[in-house]
Amino acid sequence: MLLPFLLRGCTAKHYVQQALSSTRLCVNYCNIRGLATSSGQLFLRRTPQRFLNQSRGAKTHKRKHQNQEDDWKKRNKTVLTYIAAAGVGMIGLSYAAVPLYRLYCQATGLGGTAVAGHNTDHVETMKPIRDRIIKVTFNADTHASMQWNFRPQQSEIYLVPGETALAFYKARNPTDKPVIGISTYNVVPFEAGQYFNKIQCFCFEEQRLNPHEEVDMPVFFYIDPEFDDDPRMARVDTITLSYTFFEAKEGQRLPVPGYS
Amino acid sequence: MSTAMNFGSKSFRPRPPDKGAFPLDHFGECKSFKETYMRCLRESHFDNSRCREESKEYLECRMDRQLMAKEPFEKLGFKDLMEKPAEENKAE
Repeated sequence: MLLPFLLRGCTAKHYVQQALSSTRLCVNYCNIRGLATSSGQLFLRRTPQRFLNQSRGAKTHKRKHQNQEDDWKKRNKTVLTYIAAAGVGMIGLSYAAVPLYRLYCQATGLGGTAVAGHNTDHVETMKPIRDRIIKVTFNADTHASMQWNFRPQQSEIYLVPGETALAFYKARNPTDKPVIGISTYNVVPFEAGQYFNKIQCFCFEEQRLNPHEEVDMPVFFYIDPEFDDDPRMARVDTITLSYTFFEAKEGQRLPVPGYS
Repeated sequence: MSTAMNFGSKSFRPRPPDKGAFPLDHFGECKSFKETYMRCLRESHFDNSRCREESKEYLECRMDRQLMAKEPFEKLGFKDLMEKPAEENKAE
């Protein structure tokens, strides 16, 4: 936007310069002819002082103008480099955001991500908290196209955090063909899911049932004693564990992060 | 599952089990132990703390029949059950 303004200024000065140079030429010409006419002198005298000064310092004015242009060019260059650097910085930030956010989530436990540093030695040293009884209810589901009969063998278990417990599900294949199933689980309430630790179960791996076969599927789990310290869990008395079985197709894997 | 569209709300992320998956008991080798455990649970109104001995026996059965990796029971949270027989032995 400044550009046309500047241009107009430039052109105006250019015209003035041109006018001055032409008058100078004319005056010189008159003087050469010895004509130093009064009109010429009058003309000269009439022109305002500032024009005179300007015509006298035309070269310095040109230099100043050149300097100004150089200045503008330099300023434009620095501004452009700053903008380009900011752009590159933004792109870099957007790439760096992915691992940074993951670290942040792990540190704060936001979004239900598993907190790093959960090890199995914890099971050996944990102490059951006797005064906090939690009811764990069990639920079983199958996908619509899955023909297994899948149900829990107990409706609920009362336990305390820090105590390992065993629960059973039963699955039966009523068809005449072997069926391979794969299951996943869900814990409600969601925030309690981070305290629900399974030592061993039957999920995330393909389980094959022969025709008309029935098996018991155990789940060995415990609730982390830190559950008692969490203020958000203070009013949680019931945790529901829900398993869902899907039919496994060849080469299909459930999208479980970090599990091979 | 974890496809809730509400921004910022916690969603559940399933985690793999610590020691992997139980191999299926196709031949029902530990079925009797399971039945004992379920009976105990029903009698104690599904109180887990009263049936820990039976659950330990079921896991022992699995370990003996190669249906579970052998591990000391302290690592499976049965430390209190292992200490009791030691005390009893000392008392005797």
